[in-house]
This record gives sequence, C-alpha cells and structure tokens, in this order.
Amino acid sequence: MLPLRPVCGGIWRAAVHTVRMSRGAPPYRLFSSTCDGAPAALADADTIFALSSGHGRCGVAVVRVSGPASATALRCMAGFTQRLPPPRTALLRSITDPRSTEVLDRGLVLWFPAPRSFSGEDSVEFHIHGGPAVVTAVLQALGSVPGLRPAEAGEFTRRAFQAGKLGLTEVEGLGDLIHAETEAQRRQALRQMSGELGRLYQDWSDRLKRCLAHVEAFIDFSEDELIEDGVLNRVDVSVSDLQAEIERHLKDERRGERLRSGVQVVIAGATNAGKSSLLNKLCQRPAAIVSPIAGTTRDVVETALDLGGFPVLLSDTAGLRDSSDLVEREGVRRARERVEQADLTLVVVDSHLRSVLPDTGTVPCVCLLMHRLCLLVLNKADLLPEKQRQKLDTELRGVSGLPAVRLISCQTNEGLKAFLTVLHSSVKTLCGDPLFGAPTLTQARHRAHLQRCAAALAQYQRYRDTDLALAAEGVRLAVTSLGRITGRVGAEEILDIIFKDFCIGK
Amino acid sequence: TNRECASHMLRKKLPFLHSLLSPVSRHVGHLTGHQYDVIVVGGGHAGTEAAAAAARVGAETLLITQKIHTIGALSCNPSLGGVGKGQLVKEVDALDGLCGRAGDWAGIHFSILNRRKGPAVWGPRAQLDRQRYRDFIQSELLSTPRLTMVEGSVEELLVTEPNPEEPGHHRVTGIRLGTQSVVLTTGTFLSGSLFVGQTTSPGGRIGDAPSSAGLSHTLRERLGLRTGRLRTGTPPRIVKDSVDLSLAKLHLPDSHPTPFSFLNTHTHCKPEEQLPCYLTFTTPGVERVVRESLQLNCHIQQDTKGPRYCPSIESRVLRFPGRSHQVWLEPEGVTSDLLYPQGLSMTMPPDIQLRLIREIPPMRRAEIHTPGYGVQYDFVCPTQLSPALQVKSTQGLFLAGQINGTTGYEEAAAQGLWAGANAARSALSMPTVTLSRTESYIGVLIDDLVSRGVTEPYRMFTSRAEFRTSLRPDNADLRLTPKGFEEVGCVSSVRYQESLRVRNSLQDALTALQALFLSTSSWKKKLPSVPISETKSTLLTGLDLLQYNDVTFEMLASAFPESLSSFMEFAQRLKIEAVYKPHCDLNKKEIERIQREENMSLPQDIDYFSLPVSLSDEVREILDRVRPSTLGAATRLEGITPAAVVNLLNYVRVTEKKKETHRNQRQQEAQRDEELCANSASLPQ
Repeated sequence: MLPLRPVCGGIWRAAVHTVRMSRGAPPYRLFSSTCDGAPAALADADTIFALSSGHGRCGVAVVRVSGPASATALRCMAGFTQRLPPPRTALLRSITDPRSTEVLDRGLVLWFPAPRSFSGEDSVEFHIHGGPAVVTAVLQALGSVPGLRPAEAGEFTRRAFQAGKLGLTEVEGLGDLIHAETEAQRRQALRQMSGELGRLYQDWSDRLKRCLAHVEAFIDFSEDELIEDGVLNRVDVSVSDLQAEIERHLKDERRGERLRSGVQVVIAGATNAGKSSLLNKLCQRPAAIVSPIAGTTRDVVETALDLGGFPVLLSDTAGLRDSSDLVEREGVRRARERVEQADLTLVVVDSHLRSVLPDTGTVPCVCLLMHRLCLLVLNKADLLPEKQRQKLDTELRGVSGLPAVRLISCQTNEGLKAFLTVLHSSVKTLCGDPLFGAPTLTQARHRAHLQRCAAALAQYQRYRDTDLALAAEGVRLAVTSLGRITGRVGAEEILDIIFKDFCIGK
Repeated sequence: TNRECASHMLRKKLPFLHSLLSPVSRHVGHLTGHQYDVIVVGGGHAGTEAAAAAARVGAETLLITQKIHTIGALSCNPSLGGVGKGQLVKEVDALDGLCGRAGDWAGIHFSILNRRKGPAVWGPRAQLDRQRYRDFIQSELLSTPRLTMVEGSVEELLVTEPNPEEPGHHRVTGIRLGTQSVVLTTGTFLSGSLFVGQTTSPGGRIGDAPSSAGLSHTLRERLGLRTGRLRTGTPPRIVKDSVDLSLAKLHLPDSHPTPFSFLNTHTHCKPEEQLPCYLTFTTPGVERVVRESLQLNCHIQQDTKGPRYCPSIESRVLRFPGRSHQVWLEPEGVTSDLLYPQGLSMTMPPDIQLRLIREIPPMRRAEIHTPGYGVQYDFVCPTQLSPALQVKSTQGLFLAGQINGTTGYEEAAAQGLWAGANAARSALSMPTVTLSRTESYIGVLIDDLVSRGVTEPYRMFTSRAEFRTSLRPDNADLRLTPKGFEEVGCVSSVRYQESLRVRNSLQDALTALQALFLSTSSWKKKLPSVPISETKSTLLTGLDLLQYNDVTFEMLASAFPESLSSFMEFAQRLKIEAVYKPHCDLNKKEIERIQREENMSLPQDIDYFSLPVSLSDEVREILDRVRPSTLGAATRLEGITPAAVVNLLNYVRVTEKKKETHRNQRQQEAQRDEELCANSASLPQ
C-alpha cells in the first residue's frame, strides 16, 4: 500500500516529525520563533503549508502556513525584516524566493498570531495569482524554508481540532474530511507511483530496509551470534550510495516525470456498452475506434479536454469481463488500475439489457459504484421502447445510494446535453476542492520526505563510529521518511529480514 | 461468531461452575479457610516477581508451586541480561523487583555487551551460579512480609457464573482457597510435553512432575480463552572435566563488574573471582549427525511452522547449511562441575547427542551429564489480556510469563512483576495501572503482546523499542522508580528516596553544566587537548562540550572543581545524558502525542458493530477482534485509518463529556437530597 496512513500508526515513526531538514547552519535560525510569542510547548512542532484554494482556473490562490515557523516564512518571503505586520491585516507585498531573492509574485499577505487563527497556531496566508507556475514557485519556495514541510492529509484540520477551534458540526464532519483527503492523496500517490518513479522509490526502500535490518542485527545479536564482520561495512557502502543517489535525484529536475494535470475522468463498464462512443462524443472527434464487436478497446485511450474551462484528462478503458485473451486481460487490468486512480468514474451501462443492476454481466460495474465518486450513464436509450423506460425508471428509483444517473444515446445525442451539465458540475466541484489535483503538492511532499531521508542517512554517517544506536536511529528515520512515500515499514518486517539473513539462536 | 458461541456454551454450564474445583495437593489442606488477596501459581521468574510485587503493594499473597526448593531455579541457561534483556532487568530492578539484585548476588561473570555501540544499546549481562541465584530468591521471598509459600499443584480455577448482562465475563474466586486475584505463571507446564528422540512424556521440565491438563482445559473450555502451542528446548549439560578447554577460545569477563541493581555499588563476586566463558564452533560433522538422525527426532519432524529464528542446533544447520555456528561453553556455578553449551539446544536421542557434541573439537571426549530435550506447551493468546495483564473476560485472573507466549527469564520477570502488582491493586480495590511503550521496555513488551499477539515465542530486542535512545539501561530508575512508588506502590521508600536524590543531583549537575557559558577561545584555554573548532564563534556551554567525543565529565570537573566536583559519582550518567539529550528532546513531542492518545481509554464493552460513528466494516471488525484499551493502542493497529482514529477520538470525547455531565447532575441531585434530608431532620417532630 501507498502512504495512506500519514497521520496515524507506525511503530517506527519515532521522531520523523521533528527532524531538522538541514543541520548545517540554517540561515533563518537567528530570527526563528523565539520572539513571536509562540508557546514554548510548540517550539519543536513542525510548520506545515498547503494550497488551500482550488486548483484549475481561478483568479486567486490561497496558500496557508501554520506552525511556529510561520513568522519565519513571512519574514523571508514577504520582506518583513524588522517587525511583523499588524495581525489579521491584508498587506500587498512582493513575494520572493528566499534562496534567490527573485520576486515570484505580488500578492496579499496576512499574519495570524496564535491563538487567534484557524489552527490555533501562528499562521500566515499568501493570496497570490492563481496560475499554476506562480503557485508551484511559491510552494517550492516555502519548502526551502527551514522547519517547513508540506501538510499531510487532514493536518490543518487536525491541528484546528486539537486546538479546540472546530465547532461541533465541523468536528462531526472531520472524519469524513480526513477520509476524503487521504483518498485524494492516495489517488495522487497512485498516479505518481505507477511507472519509473515508483520503481525507483521501491528499490530505495528495499535497500534501506536491508540496511536497517543489518544494523539492527549487528546491535541486537552480534555479541552472541556469529554475524560476519563485514556486515557493517556493507551497510556503510549501501548508505552512502543511497544518500548520493537520493541527493542526485533531488538536484536533477528532469528526473521527475511530467505529471498529468487535470481532473482524471475514467470511462469504465462492461464490454460493448458504448464507452468509446461516449469518449468520441465528449471530445468531438473519433479518438477511439468504435465497433459493434465486444472488446474492441484493449488499451487505455487518453485525451485531454477543456470542459467549460476546467482541465480534464479523459480515459477510455477496455470493457470489464473475464477473458482468455492475454492482450485483453492486460487491458482489463489496466482499466481497473485506471479506475483506482480516477477522480471521477463514468460507469457506462447498456440500458436495453433486461436489468441494468446486478446479474447481467454488469456486476463489476456495480462494484465500481461502491465507495467511489461516479456517474452512472445508461447508454443506447434509442434502443429502449417507451414501456421499458418506465420500468427502468421505477427500478432505479427503488435502489438507494445510487449515484447520479443519466439516460443517453450516443447514437441520437438524446440526453447528452443534460449529461454534460451534470459532468460539468461534478468537475467544477472537484476543481474547487483544494485537495484534488495539485500534483505539485504531491511532488513537494515527495521532495520533503526524500530530503529528510537523505539528511537522516547523514546522521548514520556522523555517528557510525561513535554511537551505533544513534547511527541506527538515522537509518530508522530514513526508512520512516521514505515509508511515507512507499508505505509504512513495521518492526516485524525488519525482523523478518534479520531472521532470513542471519542465523539467530534462541 | 466464535465469541457468541463460546459465551453461549458458558451460559449453559453455569450451575456447575462452583463445584468444579481442584484437588489441590495435601500440603495446602491446612490453609483452607484462610483468605488471601492474591494467589500466584508457579515459582519461576514470573511467579517469584509476581508474588513479591503483590506483597510489596500490600496484598496478603500466597505462592503455590510444585516444589518449594525449585523456587527461583534457572531451568535453562545460567545467565541473565544481554542486549534488550538487560534493559528489562534494569527496569524490573527500578520497580524494586528481585532479579537484578539476585543477579548481582549470583553473578560469576559480568560483562556489558555492545560496549562500543552506544550506551542506549548496552546490554548488561552476567553468568550466574544456579545455586546462589535460587538461594537469593528463596531467602528474599521468605523475608517478604505478607507472603506465604506452599507446595501444591493447581488443577482448576474457581470462577463466578458470568453476569447475565455480560455473557462470557467471569470473576475469579480462587482455587478452593478464597482469593480476589490469581496470577498464573505456569511456564512450560501448561499441558507441557517433553521430547527426547522418539520418546514423548508429559511434563514441563525434566525432573518435575507434570502438571495436569485440567488447568489448560479450564482456561480453554470454561473461560473460552483461545490457546496455542509453542515449543522450546534446552541443550545437554556437559561434564566440565571431560572437555579440553584449551581448544576453545577464552572469553574473559569485564575487569570491573557492573551490578544490575541501582541499589548496588558492587557485585557479590569479587572481580578477580569471576569465571571465564569459552567460545567454540560447530564442524561439518555436526551437520552430518543432525541430518542422519532426523528420522529419530520427533520434535524436529513436527517443526512444520516453527519460529523465524533458530531455537535448536537442528534448525540452525538445516536452515543455514554449510556454515560454522558459534557455541559458548558457560560455567554453571562456582562449585558446579558442569558446562552449559549455549547454542546446542537439541532433541535427538541421547546417544546421538553424544555423537554430535563429540564432533566439536574441545568436546571430542566429552561426557553428557543430562541430555538436552524439547518442550511443547500451551500458551494463552495474549490479545485476550488487558495492558494490566488481566484476562479481559475474567476479572481477577492475571497471566504472566511463557503462558503469554514469551521466552526468556527477563521477559517473564518483567511480566510477573507487572501482573503481580496489578493483581494486588485489583484485590485491594485500587485501579490497575499500565506502562506505556514510550517510557519502558516493559511497556513495549506488554503492548506488543496484548495488541499484536504472538506467532512464535516472543523475545525482547532493542529494535522493538521505537524510542530506544530514550529508554536506556542507565536511566531506568529515573523513568520508573518514582512512578513505581507514587502510582503503583511496588517500590520501597528507601529506593524511592535514593531515586529522588539521583534525579535531583543529575538535574543540578546539568544546570551547573549549562551555567558554564564560555567562548570557544576560553574553552580552548581550559581544555587544551580538545579539538574545538575555531570557526565556531558562538558561546558554548559545558553541556555542549560534554557532547564532544573526547570530553569526559571528569575533564570538565577538574577544570571547574568548585561547581562540578560534587557530582563525580554521576560522571558516566552525565556523559550519557549530555550525548543523548538532543535526540531525546526530538523524541519528546512524539512521545507526548502518543501518551495523550494512550490516556484516552476506550470502554471494553463497546459494541463496535453498532457504534453510531462513521467506521468501515473492516475497521469495525479489527476493533471488535482486538478491543484496544486505549485510543493509542487502536492507532497502532494494522488497518486502522486516520479517519477512523479521528472518529474514535471524537466519540471518546463526546462520551466522556456526557459521563461528566451525568456525574455532575447526580452529584447535584445527591447534594439536594442530602440538604432535603437535613432540612426534614431538623424539622420539629
């Protein structure tokens, strides 16, 4: 599984929250939160940031920062060198990159000292221009400020909750909100992790786990058992290789895969339901081959669309059915994978089949409906006699918990306009949600975790010869940091490797 | 479901429960009629610590064991401590337990393992004289007030009928003798069977009578507890004179033995009186003998799904063939003429055992005194226990040691102490107490057991403790002694006062170090031998300096005698504190967060399937199966999502608030009633 559990659990999570990103003299340390009235208890807490306005076409984007180093961010990015601005007052400032002092944008900044802020902590808001380039630049600049890191799913709300800042109704919705955020993050992570990048991270993770297992074996067993002398030397080599590789990766901008931007809409359903016809209708060109033969589409066909001003990435997938054809089976696997990653699924069903709901070969479709944001599209309305339409109508009414249903015909264009309206409003809602999309945020989060990972490996090298417990702590932190991208690593998993690689007696 | 089924069965059996009591041995006869608060069953490491702890807490305690003279016997290896295990010994000692002091009395070879790997993972260890260890434990128990020891064998437990409102829930009432709490520490005796070659006999240890299957049956059938089966083994004991030790590598102890106990400044054994150990290796011949005798080896043949590590020489050579494996030859005592070959646990027939050891050069002509053997025994799946080690469904029944699926003396002692203290508290109507995994290895051990369960004998490793750099052997007293006195009641006031003195002195010393605030050039003048970087222009404190590799507290104290020399007795502890302080400070926030979550308890009777909270079916099932006792424990479960945690948190807060309002209302009503009564009483008749 991917990093689905960012805020909870984790036996080896230890001090990951509190690792300083750079231990070498941080330039902003001199005026960190000491004089800004942050409660001492919070002095070690992390400061988090995130884009809290929508993605896609919007005039103004709002980036929120919360935590003790908020004032630092304000000072070094909005040029408040002497004193901070008056609380809760909007000021127009140039927003600069603290590394290069290059001006990124002109926008409004607001300073909310604790406790009178959304999260109850020191907070800053940057209201900047909504273009993706500006937003990305500001997020990256924030990421370079010491003590700041991208927020995990639900983190802002959790902090507000812990500070007692949420009303009763908001608290009740909190679980759902965090669920939604976790889901959004999961989908983004899935998109990034399939492909070369995912394989790279996985390889690092495997090697790191092995390093940790070997250091731990050396600590726990080398005095009683026969653990070859070379074990630690091999870990040394492995750790420095990993550190170099990760640092190189962080420097090499080209290695990041181009991220597909836009709402991911996936068309899925049984074979011959008219999925490709729907894709062609929506993009108004014959992007996919259409034929009456079931199983025509075998691979994923992808098109970028502009839907009423919002970016949409539309994918047509192979019809879901069990097949003995090797190529088709692969197509179905890809289709399922795509549905997993989708923000919105259009489930296409052939409406003139006797019963639309279960038991007619559409079972996989009905499974898709569960727990996912989707629209049910009943195609081939033109083949449906009037009497059956009414029957279908009552039948659908009898099922509770169904998503929005639209009856259309790709042949006659019947119902297509109404369907487009529903689709448009769904996409609009998704774009208005700050959690959705923003691949830059996922990227920033990955960067932050990788930076911590590399820094933690440096801790191993610093303590290697003087204190192996502290050196091992470095490898543990590195495993935890990378685990936030590739999935949590538990103590038992490390013990598995130890017992597999070494003969440990009773 | 199984649970419902089990409780249904229990309800049907109700009327007979009281009459199902034990044929307790004749020795116990004269005790009938005497009421004890706590009865401890078993006299091993868990049982002795449990009985002593229960008595220290203030409970009238009875310890029942098969033979009084085997109380405190070391059934397997003649040693205590090690990496991870040594931490447990220090913690048991910090809570005023026995094993640390017993180790200091009985130790004949002391060494700190991992000496060069950092103080957080140092492993204090000692070879023991079996006789001295047993003597110490027995005399300590004999002189413990409120503690009675008796020989006997327990066959059945008395439990109440389950409360109709809580099907499946019982309260223990005794073992014919009445009691409030029972601690079971049956070790390998619960339906134990011994294996040597192709022969199998009932029993838990060679030379002792088997215990009956009755107890195991009670736990399984009457209380509906899930049990499993585990295996362990012990090596043959070798006649020392028959071994040519000149062919083995001599291994000397530390020249200055370090005592386990915080109360001891030196060990009973003088440094120069310590005995050495010897190291030797297996040969290809050993592997050949194992392979040739496989068909004669019941224990190994049954080894279908054994533990991940290698419990015997058989599994070592089968799993890692073609290698040479270490064998330690350890002394069994000052006057003993036996050697204990650590690493040669085996279960083949005795004549083949002899063939095998003679394949190892120093033992070419060795004689076996007692052959090795294997043991299989029942354990109770520990997820059915609360963090106080009490069986969740049976009030007053506590389990500790191998019965919970652990292996090792230290693991047993740690659980015994904690179960005994809680059994006493429960019997004396005080709330039970828990230890967090953020403050102790004992907490890690218990949390792992009760929230994860075991699939192989559980053994402590330092890698299991995520806050290893904070949970060090050197600071176990600071972590646990005050709590043991103030919250648990298992620590004597002498030890408590000493721990306060230590704590205050360390604090004063750290303050004094921080008050030494000098420029780098001044430090260079004071400590010319230390390479202080010139480029650092900032001021450094004495504490900063102490973090340098080559700076010792002694050096600082000789440079600043007036402020530091009074703390010389803590020189080593201060050095360790200084080096680890930055790392512990980093851990602190995470520790506090976990502790906050652990302070929020989840009621044990929640029906997770009908809880009006947004939780997925999968999450409900996990919660129902494990029944975590706190939100913190729930958070650590596999499969619990962040959203589920928040929803649970919210539920806990809301119900707590409701309860509080309810309580306030009741208090107000009671007050009003009282006032009314008072008023009516004062009315003229």
